[in-house]
Amino acid sequence: MSRIRVLALLLLFLLATAAAYAQESPYFVTYDHHLEEAGNLEIETSSTIAKARSGQHSFIAPWSEFEYGVKGWWTSEVYLEGQSTRHDSTLFTGWRWENRFRLLSQEHRVNPVLYFEYEDINEASRIMTEVVGHADGEQPSNATLRGIRDRELEGKLILSSNVGNWNFAENFITEKNLSRNEGVEFGYSLGVSRPLGGLATGSTCHFCRENFSAGLEMYGGLGSTQDLSLRETAHYIAPVLAWHLTENSTIRISPGFGLTHTSQPFLLRVGYSYEISGFGRRLAHWFKGGHS
Amino acid sequence: MKAAGWTIFVGLFLGAALLMAQNLGYRQDPGWKAPAKAAARKNPLAGRSDVIAGGKKLFEQHCIECHGHSGQGLGHAADLQLPVVQRQSDGTLFWKITTGNARHGMPTFSGLPELQRWQLVMFLRTLPARKASR
Repeated sequence: MSRIRVLALLLLFLLATAAAYAQESPYFVTYDHHLEEAGNLEIETSSTIAKARSGQHSFIAPWSEFEYGVKGWWTSEVYLEGQSTRHDSTLFTGWRWENRFRLLSQEHRVNPVLYFEYEDINEASRIMTEVVGHADGEQPSNATLRGIRDRELEGKLILSSNVGNWNFAENFITEKNLSRNEGVEFGYSLGVSRPLGGLATGSTCHFCRENFSAGLEMYGGLGSTQDLSLRETAHYIAPVLAWHLTENSTIRISPGFGLTHTSQPFLLRVGYSYEISGFGRRLAHWFKGGHS
Repeated sequence: MKAAGWTIFVGLFLGAALLMAQNLGYRQDPGWKAPAKAAARKNPLAGRSDVIAGGKKLFEQHCIECHGHSGQGLGHAADLQLPVVQRQSDGTLFWKITTGNARHGMPTFSGLPELQRWQLVMFLRTLPARKASR
């Protein structure tokens, strides 16, 4: 049997057998302090669908994430992204590699996490997993935008607290475009959420309250070192809902509303994630010649 | 093989299986201690045997990957059947589930509703007790 077939079978086996019921936060933009558990792999596919403001075209921007828990205090993630604009074209817009490091081993009132990301994308990127700086005025065609490459470094300070059943998360974002001089851009994201359930039932159920969590997030740009003002910045407010469909898969949805004239008036985000528990251990075992 | 031979063989096999099941990789972290106030917290579900099934479900969802199906501990994860674990108060176990110990591989489960964390404690109390072997 070819190596590719064996790998495909292995993946199917992992998907069929491994189960992990993650404490999936419902947020799309805001990060909390819960990292991926060591050795777990989460595969997620999401989309941002936008009703564009006047003079621009609506778009759908899908992305895929592969998130791996390297250590209990370190999560690494690769993104692949694209977009399709109405009355224009569909294209691949680049990739990102992010790393999150939890600074304190145990739970505290405020739990800091450091986030570093390298992006190799083009100007047509529309996934909007962070909003920084000032909003773009015009919207040139995808053919023009795809030729403008952005290599960017992004850093975030993530502060997150769990109080009772509530989570409060604050993200402070800085981004530097290495491809041209735009200064350092700033942004923020705030989130509050809670699981809807109390006691867990003893049986499997798909629609009970314990499978849902809900919240609200707000995010936007805070200008840049070249223009440190809120003028022409975009801001959004977005209710979020997560439904833990099975023990290892989650569906999330978030309608977002633009708060300024430079924001997109409406964003709809949807996502599906699947977590493979013990992926690293199983893979290592397989490559060492194990049979389980 | 005579009956005595079989008995020795089966005994050795079971002994080896027991040793492997006991997770010799587990070492307690002496710095991971619940504050006195947290350790003294009372379990609001104490005496509620009806919530144990839910605790079992949560254990299977969140814990068996590291602690094993019967809590025996895999790799460096704690053997939850040992007296050194079972002697700890409900408040201590709740605190440890809540706060985690990321540098030693224990995730924080503060994202779970409080009542579900107490349910986990209730289920841990139903694990079979094992005598310390070391």
